[in-house]
Amino acid sequence: MANYLAQFPDHQVLLRPHRRRCMFSYNWFPFATVEDVSDLWLNVKESFERRLPVKKACLNNKARNPVFVENLPAEFIQTTDSRLRSRFPQEQYLFWFREPYATVVLVTCEDLDEFKTILKPRLKLIVQNDEREWFIVFVSKAHPSNDQATKMAKKVYARLEADFNTKKRERCCKFDLHGPDAEFWDDFDSKMVDCIRNTLDRRVQFYEEEIRRLSEQRFTPIWNFCNFFILKHSSHFYLQESLAFMFEMSNLHEDSLREYDELELCYSESVNSPGKHREFGGLDAGDDQAALLNPGFKALTQIVQDDVFREFEFRQYIFACQAKLLFKLSRPTEVAARGYAFVVAFSKTLALHEFMRLAYLIGYGAEIEKSPINSASLSMLPWPKPATWPSIPPDSSSEIMAKEKMILQAKSREKLFNIHRKPLPLEPSLLLREANRRRAFLSVGNISELYDTADGSGLDGNSKLSPNRSTSSFIARTMSEGWEELLADVLPDLAECQKILSDEAGYLASCVKLLSLDSSLFSLKERQAFQSEVVRLAHSEMKHLVPLDVSSLITFAGNAGPPLELCDGDPGTLSVAVWSGFPDDIMLESLSLRLSASSTADEGRNIISFDIPPQKPGSYVLGALTGQIGKLSFRSHGFSQDGPVETDEFMSFEKPTRPVLKVRKPRALVDITPAVSSALLMNELQWIGLIVKPIDYSLKGGILHIDAGAELKIEESQMIEIENYRSDMEHSCSADSPIEAERVEKIPIENGKIKLPDWASDVTTLVWFPVRAIDNTIARGETPASPQKQSIVDGMRMIALKLEFGVFHNQVFESSAYCTSLHEHLVNAYVHMHVFLVPMGSRYWTGTMGTMIDDLHVILCSEVKASLHTKDMWLDLQSGFEHLGKGDGRPASNLFPLVVAPSSKAGILFIIRLSGTTDSDELENTDSILNVKYGISGDRTTGAHSPVPVNTGDSEELMFKIALKLKRPVLDPCLAVGFLPFSTDCLRVGQLVNMKWRVERLKSHEDASISGDEILYQIDANPQNWMIAGRKCGHISLSNAHGSRMEITVTCVPLVSGYVHPPQLGLPEVGEAKQTSGPERRTATLAPASLASGGMKASGGCVELMGTRKGSYLFIESQTRVAAARSPP
Amino acid sequence: MIVCVAVVGHQNNPLYLQSFTEADDALKLHHIVHCSLDVIDERVNNPKRSAPTLNETFLGLLYPTENYKVYGYLTNTKVKFIMVTTDLDVKDADARNFFRKFHAAYVDAVSNPFHVPGKKIASRSFGSRVSTIVKSFGAGTTV
Repeated sequence: MANYLAQFPDHQVLLRPHRRRCMFSYNWFPFATVEDVSDLWLNVKESFERRLPVKKACLNNKARNPVFVENLPAEFIQTTDSRLRSRFPQEQYLFWFREPYATVVLVTCEDLDEFKTILKPRLKLIVQNDEREWFIVFVSKAHPSNDQATKMAKKVYARLEADFNTKKRERCCKFDLHGPDAEFWDDFDSKMVDCIRNTLDRRVQFYEEEIRRLSEQRFTPIWNFCNFFILKHSSHFYLQESLAFMFEMSNLHEDSLREYDELELCYSESVNSPGKHREFGGLDAGDDQAALLNPGFKALTQIVQDDVFREFEFRQYIFACQAKLLFKLSRPTEVAARGYAFVVAFSKTLALHEFMRLAYLIGYGAEIEKSPINSASLSMLPWPKPATWPSIPPDSSSEIMAKEKMILQAKSREKLFNIHRKPLPLEPSLLLREANRRRAFLSVGNISELYDTADGSGLDGNSKLSPNRSTSSFIARTMSEGWEELLADVLPDLAECQKILSDEAGYLASCVKLLSLDSSLFSLKERQAFQSEVVRLAHSEMKHLVPLDVSSLITFAGNAGPPLELCDGDPGTLSVAVWSGFPDDIMLESLSLRLSASSTADEGRNIISFDIPPQKPGSYVLGALTGQIGKLSFRSHGFSQDGPVETDEFMSFEKPTRPVLKVRKPRALVDITPAVSSALLMNELQWIGLIVKPIDYSLKGGILHIDAGAELKIEESQMIEIENYRSDMEHSCSADSPIEAERVEKIPIENGKIKLPDWASDVTTLVWFPVRAIDNTIARGETPASPQKQSIVDGMRMIALKLEFGVFHNQVFESSAYCTSLHEHLVNAYVHMHVFLVPMGSRYWTGTMGTMIDDLHVILCSEVKASLHTKDMWLDLQSGFEHLGKGDGRPASNLFPLVVAPSSKAGILFIIRLSGTTDSDELENTDSILNVKYGISGDRTTGAHSPVPVNTGDSEELMFKIALKLKRPVLDPCLAVGFLPFSTDCLRVGQLVNMKWRVERLKSHEDASISGDEILYQIDANPQNWMIAGRKCGHISLSNAHGSRMEITVTCVPLVSGYVHPPQLGLPEVGEAKQTSGPERRTATLAPASLASGGMKASGGCVELMGTRKGSYLFIESQTRVAAARSPP
Repeated sequence: MIVCVAVVGHQNNPLYLQSFTEADDALKLHHIVHCSLDVIDERVNNPKRSAPTLNETFLGLLYPTENYKVYGYLTNTKVKFIMVTTDLDVKDADARNFFRKFHAAYVDAVSNPFHVPGKKIASRSFGSRVSTIVKSFGAGTTV
């Protein structure tokens, strides 16, 4: 309506301060007035206000660059609003920025004539004011179903548009009361934003021009000495701040900040100009508090207008405004940086004015607020104290008295946790220290470093934490040993600070620290308060699971004594003592991972057992104890100690941690060896000894499983004997030491299991158990020439052993599949006795039946390590043989007892002869039996011994039977087989050689068994030595006539060099008795001498038909020579 | 008048802390001593400042508070001696002298075979000796 500038051309008049002016209110938004022409506002108010705040408004900043403001707060008021009315016209300029930004004209009309005659002139009147930004909203009341009304409304609106829209700008939009479309609102918003932007631009321009004008004037000499400086200045201030404020209102904080910066610069220029000295210190109540972050601290606009403002207030105000904007812009570090600069600069000024001292003396508070800013400012005071204190006003002595009284009577501020304590005196040493450090730091670098470090440390938007931080660093130092008293004083403050800042983790940590302080520093009630605070937080709704280090509060240690030793894979139970420093009982929901049961910790020592899962080898110390109190997961680091904390005795940093658990690498823990490796008596109950030797590991509760296998039977009716074992070496070593009592214990064996007694768990023991080697076959005698190929393995039995043991003989261990077992193989010879049947002399048995007398030489070889007492011996001959004389074949009785020393031989001679005309078949099928009745005297520790008596009264005499096969000599040869000499001189490995045999009939054929022309022959050769190139078997036709002969040739290749049996020709269909062949032909002497002489020509002429069957050997040399060796007859 | 003396170990753990005032301001003096440790650290760790006094155990005036002056002394084993005095004009020589005596007393105290290094000095004779030194310091300045 009114053009202010036009109305008041002289700005100075306009700017005259007015006492009734109210201060800025900060909840002021840009708003749009609603010119409610047709009484529609109430109908549309709700839907209009729903559009607020204006979204995505595009405004121009001071540099005329578009800036998008996400949410522009705005408000609709009617033109009839009292806020618009109440202003004096003069004021409206200064508060121009509060004038409406847009005018919305709400109209409706249903008739064209009415529009023309009434509405249009009225609208023209309203919008004629160029200063205002306006637009028209035509409200159509027509219901969509009412066609005529709709049509009319359209017509009127078209007319309205034609009248008020210009080419440049459309100022009309149509609002349908019944279902407005989305397009309307977009239209509405854009028009609204257009209006606001235009208004803002225009006003900014205006202010800028004004400011420029004033600034120019300020530097003219006239201006400087102008009496109206203050006035000018305040107007300048006003203009600038108005601008800033306007920007701020429009959410253009950046621009607003710039304005404030300019304002500050402007101010400092003017305030430092000579000739003007402004009052500095504050005089009002509360002036002793810093108001650096509180722009509304004082009604500054008011006092600026009144020209009574003081530098102290103004500077703080400017800084507060800047800080506020910076916080809004999320640049807290800049606040800190500026704050630092401000504090430094300001404290210099402060020092000049020595304000604080006076404030302390005559201030209204009991003490200057212990805020970091104040203290930092204080610490900037130059030292030493000023030579002269500023004079105290003469009438203030009574005030000082009152003040001092107040200080003396002042009650201590109540701290958190209801701690009552005298506060530290004002001497701000803590903060002085902090400030000193800052100063030192900054004197080296510059402000930018502060930025960097602040950014680097993640001080994002939390600059308010800085007092917290400084206190924290102080605490860190104080936590070191010895400063507990000091800590007790400061820590509650920190805790309070953390609580206010809802720094839960820090707060909890502080509580824990408080609790862990020496209990004498706080009363029990206070300590209980700390604890309840922890517990309360632990069970409260914490956003995050807060980890808490309670190392100082909950301590733990393994029990005294040697560490628990386990082997790799052993589970175990570790007992741990836990000390709780909480004054009350505290529920720990869990301790470590494995302990599921909840446990309550009393103050003091609590013994808690942990099950340890199998660990890797190594030595372990107690690490960290973790647990849970409510939602609080706490963790305590290890202080491995043997008892309660005894810090007075040892320096903590020198204390080595003591391992509580040692887990060994897998190694042999026990050794089981057979005590004796010796032959045992067959079919007799004999002791087998096992040496069980634990190797640095307790076998306590160990169970020994013995599985002897099929051919060894453990007599479970007998008790197992366990005795101490000392090796010979130990015996000799401990010769002069008192000999331990030999301990023998008999324990039962059940299902092949023995439970080791406890005393045997750590010492080497000898376990004797009785076994019986079972062999139902009868032993056979053998001749030295053809020893039975009885390898030592054949005579051995294997015993499978398994020992289950472990540290804990408890249920867990037994049920667990995890047990260390040992399998030990025990090898025992059981071979009893060998009997060799030795034909005496070189005669072989020929001759006529009944006339041949020979002596049978029996050699007894004892293979047991015990002497045998042969008590009787007799030979039951097979048919076809008989003893010479009347006897039954017993040697002379004075021969007995014959003692056979261990591993020695004894020979006995039997004289026998052939008898009867027994059928040769029968002769072949029966054996002679040698019976030996003997006793044995041995020790089980060395080998065989007399059998364990199963029943009392068992005879100690043992019986041994062995079968001997005697063969009759060839008495009636029909065929002779002879080996013919080689055609070549020598045999070589790999060289073909023809083997020739001659078969000759010695008798003409009467015998039917060998009648017929066809005789089957078979070549028998060891395939490892010979390769036979031709047929191995075949038939030869040999005439029945006496003397008929036949040669058989087989080509062979010798495969190995040395003495080898030659291939042999056999006639399987012809009974042995009828061939001239037999074992008695002992011609197995070799001819090495002849070979040594360079190879003997295969001795020819050996066509004796007594071909060798077993006794001849060939010497074959692989490279140089091969000699066919034939034994001389 | 000396109001407080302290021996602080090399880990900033107080070994001996004794105030000589009637008033109940032990904690305050505690506080002052504690704060002075920072100044000592700063001096020791800042080569620029400590360069001229590299081999000097006497650290001089650490910092002044409103009513006190704090002097420091650092031994080769990084044990700190701190003295808080209310005298506002203390001659450096006096302070140096005081610390030398104090140091000697400390050395004697820790030479006691029953003293555990790094632990608080509990010796009563050390205490009485220190108070004698403290008293003589006051006397020395007045004379």
